[in-house]
Amino acid sequence: MLIVDAIFIGLLEASPLILAAMGFTLIFYLNGFMNIAYAESITFGAYFAILFNVVLGAHFYVALLPSMLLSGAMSVAVYLAIFRPALNRGVGPTEMIILSVGVSFLLRYGLILIVGPENLFLNEPSIVYMQVLGLGATNLQLVALALVFAMAGILYWMVYYTGLGEQMRGLANNRELAMASGINPHVTSMAIWFIAGCAGGMSGVFSGVFAQVTPYMGWNVILITMLVTIVAGVGSVRGAFVAAVVAGILTAFITLVTKPLYADVVLLLAFIGVLTYRGARTA
Amino acid sequence: MDYLIFSLSLMMVYIGLAQLLHLQFGMAGIPNFGVVGFWGIGLYGTGVLYVQFGFPLFLAIIVASAVAAAVGYVLALLVLQRSGQAILAATLAFAAIVATLVVTEKGLTGGVQGLGTIGFPLRELDARNLVYLGLLVVIVGAMIWVSARVRDSRFGRILSAIRDNEELAASLGKDTAATKRMLFAITCGLMGVLGGLTAPLHQFLVPYLLAPSLTFAVWIALVLGGKNHNLGAMIGVFVTFGLFDILVETYAPVPAEQAILLPNLKLFCYGVLLVAIIMFRPTGLLGVDSPRSPKRPASGAGRDVSTRGAE
Amino acid sequence: MMQLEATNLTKSYHEHEVVNIEKVAFGAMGLEGLIGPNGAGKSTLMGLLTRRIAPTSGSIKLSTDTGTKSLNPLRSHEVARIGLIKTNQRIQGFDSLTIRDSLRLAMTPPDAEGLKSIFAKTRDSDEVEEKVSYYVEAFPFTDREGHARSGGEKKLVDILRCLIAEPKLLLMDEPTAGLPDDITRKVMNMVREKVASGAMRVVVVEHDLPLIWEYCDYVHFLSEGSILFEGEPDEVKSNRVVAEKYMGV
Repeated sequence: MLIVDAIFIGLLEASPLILAAMGFTLIFYLNGFMNIAYAESITFGAYFAILFNVVLGAHFYVALLPSMLLSGAMSVAVYLAIFRPALNRGVGPTEMIILSVGVSFLLRYGLILIVGPENLFLNEPSIVYMQVLGLGATNLQLVALALVFAMAGILYWMVYYTGLGEQMRGLANNRELAMASGINPHVTSMAIWFIAGCAGGMSGVFSGVFAQVTPYMGWNVILITMLVTIVAGVGSVRGAFVAAVVAGILTAFITLVTKPLYADVVLLLAFIGVLTYRGARTA
Repeated sequence: MDYLIFSLSLMMVYIGLAQLLHLQFGMAGIPNFGVVGFWGIGLYGTGVLYVQFGFPLFLAIIVASAVAAAVGYVLALLVLQRSGQAILAATLAFAAIVATLVVTEKGLTGGVQGLGTIGFPLRELDARNLVYLGLLVVIVGAMIWVSARVRDSRFGRILSAIRDNEELAASLGKDTAATKRMLFAITCGLMGVLGGLTAPLHQFLVPYLLAPSLTFAVWIALVLGGKNHNLGAMIGVFVTFGLFDILVETYAPVPAEQAILLPNLKLFCYGVLLVAIIMFRPTGLLGVDSPRSPKRPASGAGRDVSTRGAE
Repeated sequence: MMQLEATNLTKSYHEHEVVNIEKVAFGAMGLEGLIGPNGAGKSTLMGLLTRRIAPTSGSIKLSTDTGTKSLNPLRSHEVARIGLIKTNQRIQGFDSLTIRDSLRLAMTPPDAEGLKSIFAKTRDSDEVEEKVSYYVEAFPFTDREGHARSGGEKKLVDILRCLIAEPKLLLMDEPTAGLPDDITRKVMNMVREKVASGAMRVVVVEHDLPLIWEYCDYVHFLSEGSILFEGEPDEVKSNRVVAEKYMGV
C-alpha cells in the first residue's frame, strides 16, 4: 500500500517537475548548456497567471493558456537578446551557465522591483475532493496531472515524431551537417526556446496554484530540474520524463518512510551517486 | 563604526572565498558550485563544537575545517573526473544537503531557531573587532600571495595543463586525478576555515546563511574581476560587495520605505553587471584578453643567454 | 631492453571488429614502422597500446630490464610513467602554456610537481632550461618565447614534448601529417640519433612510405585489423601481400 501511495503522491507532486525537466532538457540538448534562467520561465508563468487570473479576473483555466504563451514569448526574447549573441561569441559552457545565473538574477529581481516580494495566491477553481483507487485527491490535482501528461505527451510526440523534432535533433548532433541539409537553425532554435518556455510557464502556473506564487518559486525547483536532466542524460526528452517521474515517486516514498526533510537529502545523495557513474555522459 | 568593521570583515571572507574559487576554477578548471556548503561546514561545525561541546574557538575552527577538507576529498573522489556540468550539479546538490541537514539536525544546530552565541575572541581587548579584521586581512592576503606562488610554480603549471587538456597531461605521466583531488580538498578545507572565522562575526547562526546566494555572489565576483587573474577575486568583491553592500547600503541617502528594496536592487544590478561582463569582456575586468599574451616571468637562469645565442 | 607485446588483442565498436591481433611485439628492433591502408586500425591499435582505449579482449605487456608488467590494469598516466608515451595524430596542446612551458612540463618528473614546489625558489633547474632551449632553438618557431602559432607548430611541440620526456618506448602516430618536409626530416634525424644512442625505442605509424623505408629498421604491416606481414623494409617492399593490399600494384 505504501508503494501505491508513494507512486500516486509522487505523480501528483512530480507533474510540474516533469514539465520543467522536459523544457529544460530541450534547451540543454539544443544549445549544450544548462540554462539556470529557465527558473524564470517557471516563475514568470505563474506571475502571468496572476495577471490574467487575479488582476483581470479570468477563470483559472482560461488564464492558463495566455500565461503559458507569454512565458514562451519571454523565453524567445531572452534567447534572442542574450543567449544567442553569447553563443555566437563562443562563450564556453561553464561561462554560459554563469551568464544564465546573471540573467536569472536580472529577471527575478527586476520582477521583485516591479511587483514586490510578497507571496501571491491564484484564485483556484472550486475544489472537489475525490477518491481515485481508494486514494484522496482534488479535482484540480487530477486536472493538473492530466494536463501535464497531455503536454508532456505532445512534447514527446513533437521531439520524436515531427519535422521540428527531427531538425532539433539534427542541429544538436551535427550543426554544420544540419545547416547544409537546409535546416534553418534560427527558426528551429526560436521554436525550441518558445516551446521550452511554454512548458516552464505551465509548470509555474500549476506549482503556483498548488501552493503560492513567489518570486523564488522557479529558483527553488531549478536545482532538482538540473539534476533530473543531467541524470537523464543529455537531451533525451524520454530520459527527462522517466527521471522526473522517478524523482517524484522517490521523493514521495522517502517522505512517507522518513522525516520529510530527509527526503531531500536522500534524493540529493542519490543524484550525486548517479552522477558518479553516469556523469561522463554529459561531457 | 562597528558595523563598518563587521562589513569589512565579511568582505575579507568573500575575497578569500573568491580567491579559493580562482584556484579551483580559474587555475584548475573545476566548477565548484558548492562554495556555500564548504564554508557552511566550517561555519556550523565551528558553531556546534563551540556551543554544544565547549571547544575553544580556534580549535573548533580547525576541526570543522578538517571536516570540510575531508568532505571535499570524498566529493572529489566521486565526481571530479566527470564532466564540468556534472561537477557543477553535484557540488550544488552537496551544498543543498548541507543546508538541509542544518535544518533537520535541530539537536545540534538549533534548526531554524538558530544557534548561539559564539563568543568573540580576544574579549579583554577594546579594539578586538579591529584586531579580528586585521587577522582576516592577513589570512586573505596570505591566500592571495600563495595563489601567486602557485601560478608561477611547477604545481601551477600542472593545474594549467589539466585545465587546458587533462587527457594530454595524463598521457605525459601526470596523475591529473590525484592532483585535482589534492587541490580541491585543500581549497575546500580553506573555505571551511573562512566559514569558521565567520562564526564569531555573526555570533548567532541561522540556516538562512547557507542559502546558495553566497555561492553565486562569490562566482559573480570572480567572473567580474577576472577568473584567471590573481587579483580578479579581490577586484570583483570590491565592485560587488564593496560597492553595493558597504558603500550604497551604508552611506547612500535612501528613504526608509525604499530601503527594503535595496537588496533586490543590488541583486538586479549584479545580474546586469554579470551579463554585461560576459557579453562584452568575458575574461573579466582584469582578464587577459587571450591566452596568447601571458605574462609569466621567466625563472630559468639559462634562458636569456641561450635565446640571444639563437638569434 | 624494452618490449611491448600484445596477445589476442581485439577491439570492437558496435560488433564491428576494428583490431584483432594474435600477437605483435614492438621495441625489439630500434626504430620500427607500422604501415597499413586507411582504416586498417593503426590509430586504434596505438590507443589500445597506451591505454587510452579499452580493449574488448586481450592482454598488453611491457617488458623492461626490471621485469614484465601487464598494462591492462594501468591508467593512462601510469603507462607513461613506466616509459611508454605516444605522440598524437590529431593536434593536441595546452593552450595557455608557452612552447617552453609545455616542454618544461613534459620534462619535469611527477615528484617535483607536488605542493612543495609552490614554495620552491626557482621553478625549473638549469638542466631543464638547457634542454628545453636545445629543442626550442633547433626549430624555426615564429615566437620561441611565446605560444605555438600554427597547427604545424602545435604538432611539432607535441612531438618535442614526447622526445624531451625521454620515454623508453615512443609511439609516433603520423608525425609527418601537417609538418613541412624539412621539419619532419629534422625530427626523424633526432629520433634516429636517440635510437642509435640507445636512449629509446620508437614505433612510427605513417602513410609516408619513403620515410618509413628510409628510417625504419623493421616494418609491421597492418591490414583489416591484423598484422599480415613483418620484416625489414626491403622484405616488406617486395612482399606480394603488401603490394596488393596497400600499394595498389
